[in-house]
Amino acid sequence: MITFLIRRILWVIPVILLVSICTFMLMHAIPGGPFDAEKALPQAIIDNLNAKYHLDDPLWKQYLDYMWGFVRFDLGPSIAYRARSVNDILSDQWPVTALLGSVSFAIAIIGGVALGTISAFRQNTIIDYSSMFISMLGLSIPNMALGPLLLWIFALNLRWFPPATWGTPAHVVLPAITLGTAFMASFARITRASILQVIREDYIQTARAKGVRESLVLLKHCLRNALIPVVTIAGPSFAAIMTGSMIVERIFAIPGIGKYYVTSVGNRDYPVVMAMTLIFALAVVVMNLLVDVSYGFLDPRIRYN
Amino acid sequence: MLSSHVVSGGRNKTRKSRSLWKDGLRRLSRNGAAIIGGCIVFALVILAVGAGWIAPYHYTDGRVIDNYLHPNGEHLMGCDFMGRDLMSRLIYGTRVSLSAAVVGAFTSFFIGVSYGLISGFAGGKVDNAMMRFVDIMYGFPTLILIILLMVFFKSTFSNIEPGTFRGALSALDARMGGMFFIFVGIGITSWLGMARLVRGMTLSVREKEYIEATRAIGAPKLRILFRHVFPNVLGPAIVAQALAIPGFILYEAFLSFIGLGVNPPMPSWGMMLSEGYVAMRSHPHLVLFPAIAISLTLFAFNFLGDGVRDAFDPKQVG
Repeated sequence: MITFLIRRILWVIPVILLVSICTFMLMHAIPGGPFDAEKALPQAIIDNLNAKYHLDDPLWKQYLDYMWGFVRFDLGPSIAYRARSVNDILSDQWPVTALLGSVSFAIAIIGGVALGTISAFRQNTIIDYSSMFISMLGLSIPNMALGPLLLWIFALNLRWFPPATWGTPAHVVLPAITLGTAFMASFARITRASILQVIREDYIQTARAKGVRESLVLLKHCLRNALIPVVTIAGPSFAAIMTGSMIVERIFAIPGIGKYYVTSVGNRDYPVVMAMTLIFALAVVVMNLLVDVSYGFLDPRIRYN
Repeated sequence: MLSSHVVSGGRNKTRKSRSLWKDGLRRLSRNGAAIIGGCIVFALVILAVGAGWIAPYHYTDGRVIDNYLHPNGEHLMGCDFMGRDLMSRLIYGTRVSLSAAVVGAFTSFFIGVSYGLISGFAGGKVDNAMMRFVDIMYGFPTLILIILLMVFFKSTFSNIEPGTFRGALSALDARMGGMFFIFVGIGITSWLGMARLVRGMTLSVREKEYIEATRAIGAPKLRILFRHVFPNVLGPAIVAQALAIPGFILYEAFLSFIGLGVNPPMPSWGMMLSEGYVAMRSHPHLVLFPAIAISLTLFAFNFLGDGVRDAFDPKQVG
């Protein structure tokens, strides 16, 4: 277990290296620089600015400098937002995106597993059909369509929730539902399929045969094992939720990092793009790590080696 | 698992053997939801191909006086912020979404299947290195990679003098309203899952007795790969791709929504949604109709994909 953990944690390093190198090279391969403007600046000023941000160094040196800063949690200055460092920007905006993502993820996993379980235990009844139809609907309405629709119904017409910005718990509701619905639907479908498969396994028969109460069979023996495929897609889903917040933050005018990501790429704000990409990638990698570790708790047959 | 074998095995003895494809198509035709999905997809294909005849207006036609016009007898779904007929733009937008689905699917299918076949068939160190690369790439959030790629393409290949290779690509993309690089972007970023699937299947198929037999009679490696391994991998790969199609439609809509997709005035549902939601308070039709269009399309492809999976790969769950 310990060696597995260590190996798995060390695996983060090549992933982050590759992501950082790809992002760095792509960013610098894009023509244009951070100081392009409608009215061109004099060359001397551009030279000075490039020198100030070390953009006149060779690329490999810029990369190494950046990564050296990154491991010390010094993410450098933002080029577009002159007065602020990337650390400032992230400490303001990352908590917003993280909160939105976590609430959406919680909605998706709790709602999805509940819906899928009810569906599977009432297989081929009207409950099953309607909840699977709802799941299909949830899977098919993309967040860029669902967001405006929820906004129009619940914020503009019914006025139950604020239409935009951030701050109170009421602000979180609509964006989190928008972001979580599609994932809730896919969790529900996978939970249902997985339970229906596990319920035919021999050890369920055995449990029933030795007289375990039906409710206990379903919850303890069946559901626990059926959750493995759910956990498997939880990792990639978390990543997709985090990046999906780019759309939702735009629609609801939420000051998270997703909203600024595309703008920063457009501004060629190299340090901001690098930092945000690496943070997204780290979140993904850490989530996948947690997924791998949690297998062992769900299915005692899985051994790490 | 066991019970399903018994059920199908009992009847198989008395009936004539059918090919996998016929069997699958028969199962598919009995799946009501998949049939409905298929009909909607068929209707969408007709809309996309015949947009020029079906749409009442061209997607660029608009009068300033009609801007934000609400639905009426002349413009059934109203007009957008530039006075262009919304329904016509939705109909033309079908082209963009469906091409993203088809071309994106083919590109990523081609890359993923070749990569997986080579990796699985080569085995050993080559396989190990190729799969480590895939593992690492999995850590790269797809949407982020596609954003970086699109910005890269859009600024590298814009306004280049014709005559060079880059110029030709730039002209092609411009003629397709920016769709060409969307296809490339989708292809580059979404082959990883396919590669993993195909590689796993190749590993198991190449150990089978019939491959052993072809090797024993001295068939060349390439022949084994294309005539014997590839056809056996194809079925599940097609099923996986059918399930992935809604994702490709979403990628295009996502890119166009954040302004990195098609170039205006080419209509894309994602772009129409992003133009619509800012004016939604007083003109909800601008969001409502594109939202229905894209949701209905995804609904149809999801049902069809599910049906294809149930019909051709009954063992798979999810």
